[in-house]
Amino acid sequence: MNATNNNPIIAVKDLTIRFGGHAAVDQVSLEVMPFTLKSIIGPNGAGKTTFFNLLSGQYKPTGGKVFLKGKDITNLSAPMRCRLGLGRSFQLTNIFPLLTVLENVRLAIQARKGYGFNFWRHYLHFSACEDEAYQILKEVLLDEKWLYPANLLTHGEQRKLEMAILMALKPEILFLDEPTAGMSQEEVPAILEILERIKSMGDKTILLVEHKMDMIMNLSDSIAVLQDGRLIADSDPETIYRSKEVQEAYLGGGAKRE
Amino acid sequence: MLRREQRKKRYYSIGFVLPCLVLALFVLIPFLGPSYKTLDLALKIIIFASLVASFDIMLGYTGILSFGHGMFFGIGAYCVAFLNGKYGDPTYFHLFLGLLLAVAVACVLALIVSLISLRVKAIFFAMITLALAELTIVLANKLSHFTGGEDGISISLPGIFSAAFSPGSFLGLDISGRVITYYFILLACLGLFALMLRFTHSPLGRVLQAIRDNTDRAEALGYKTFYFQTLSIVLGCTVAAMTGGLYAMWVGYVNPESTLEVMAIMLNVLLMVIIGGMGTLYGGIVGAAFLLITQTFLPDLQKLAIDLFPNASLLHTILERWLLLFGILFILVVIFFPKGVVGSAREFIARARGEAFFSS
Repeated sequence: MNATNNNPIIAVKDLTIRFGGHAAVDQVSLEVMPFTLKSIIGPNGAGKTTFFNLLSGQYKPTGGKVFLKGKDITNLSAPMRCRLGLGRSFQLTNIFPLLTVLENVRLAIQARKGYGFNFWRHYLHFSACEDEAYQILKEVLLDEKWLYPANLLTHGEQRKLEMAILMALKPEILFLDEPTAGMSQEEVPAILEILERIKSMGDKTILLVEHKMDMIMNLSDSIAVLQDGRLIADSDPETIYRSKEVQEAYLGGGAKRE
Repeated sequence: MLRREQRKKRYYSIGFVLPCLVLALFVLIPFLGPSYKTLDLALKIIIFASLVASFDIMLGYTGILSFGHGMFFGIGAYCVAFLNGKYGDPTYFHLFLGLLLAVAVACVLALIVSLISLRVKAIFFAMITLALAELTIVLANKLSHFTGGEDGISISLPGIFSAAFSPGSFLGLDISGRVITYYFILLACLGLFALMLRFTHSPLGRVLQAIRDNTDRAEALGYKTFYFQTLSIVLGCTVAAMTGGLYAMWVGYVNPESTLEVMAIMLNVLLMVIIGGMGTLYGGIVGAAFLLITQTFLPDLQKLAIDLFPNASLLHTILERWLLLFGILFILVVIFFPKGVVGSAREFIARARGEAFFSS
């Protein structure tokens, strides 16, 4: 890592959100360095997805701040953050089910290029968008199905389509919420390969929420562990793997709270 | 390249030829020497097809259910009526001004409606627009010194549009003010239809479909969905007001019951869009034709039955309740065309070609 990259690209300070009396995310502070892959793990209900929603702007925090490249973005809406380079995927498959596979990706490119408000030309005239969308579909091995409506794809293919949509946004920072959730064992390697490829390009920062510990150990540069909305560890994979606290959280977190 | 050619084929086949044939039919209808009733029916189909298409932009393309669409239709009708009846003279200038006023009022009102009620979702939006529509009816009835109340307003049209205008005949067709008005409205509706087609096939139109499919996802792509939804509502309502103005030109008379009533206008529009197919635009033509034709000719069936079978009194009784037959027809259409006539037909054609079907 060179000298210019010593500032964190994302910094979170005392981030808190309460739903009623329950603090789903409780005073979490962490930093993400540019061009690294950070995983966020934790048992069910630890607040991982809520934390993601706070970062991508789906939720507004009760307290605390989010910084992007040193700039306070706590009060920006989700579309605004997306334009600043934060792209996110969702834990539950989140695509446009009635549109074609190609159209799903094309809309993302259109959003990035800002053609959205053009209403006097036929959308097919923007062939550059289409070609680029097709290229991305090739990369995630979905090009054969470009004319299918997205809801006819298998679950694994839909997750791939999500990755394609995300790549089409060309975000600087990728938020991936359990990209392998609900996938069959055979489909997981394909997603891992895509992740590996994105990481090896070396120009993206990736934040990954994941449940499968073994999968992220090799991929991650650092791992943060959440439990009951609190950050209990944030370190390199090796340290996390050996940490007693983390093991307890994962294996006996429920029992320990008694 | 393969992709582009495949797409071209899709857009220049049946989907292109069939609308052209329909248009040709409507152009030729006055030449076929029809009765006034048929001409009136044809024109109402044209107007309602455009109205339904404008409703489809909101419901089928953006996923917004509004019960206030009839209100905009009525407002357009009243704008033309004010300037060519109660407060103006039958001049071309006033007619033009009336249509312009319809557009302007609809734009502003649609903007206000969106700003107020887009904050609430789905069924609540529908309820708010329904309340507004009812309020408008009450206003139109009660402010009788302004709107003419229940008596409504009669309209007189300028020069070549007036019924008295008669310059002679052309190819056996008696050119009259009515025929000229017919063609004028056909041309205007054609323009509106072209506008809506272009709108839905533009990048913006595609974003609307994305919002309909998955609003959260569209936001996460960076689209500010609120602005897009507002634009969709403004366009849909403005077109509705235009069709209302044209309708007023044709019938020459405006009152709350015939142009504003939720049951008379809104319910029909809803039925038409369901029969024709949501998210197809062309479905409006099919839906309007089906509904208006059955509503015009089903009542005549009883007369026909009395002539043909003078003794079958049970048959007469059933046919007297022609709405019952209409209900059965409607159920059959919904069962056999679950995506509306146009939607289901498109699906069928795509299946027959062995292509994966996509709805838009």
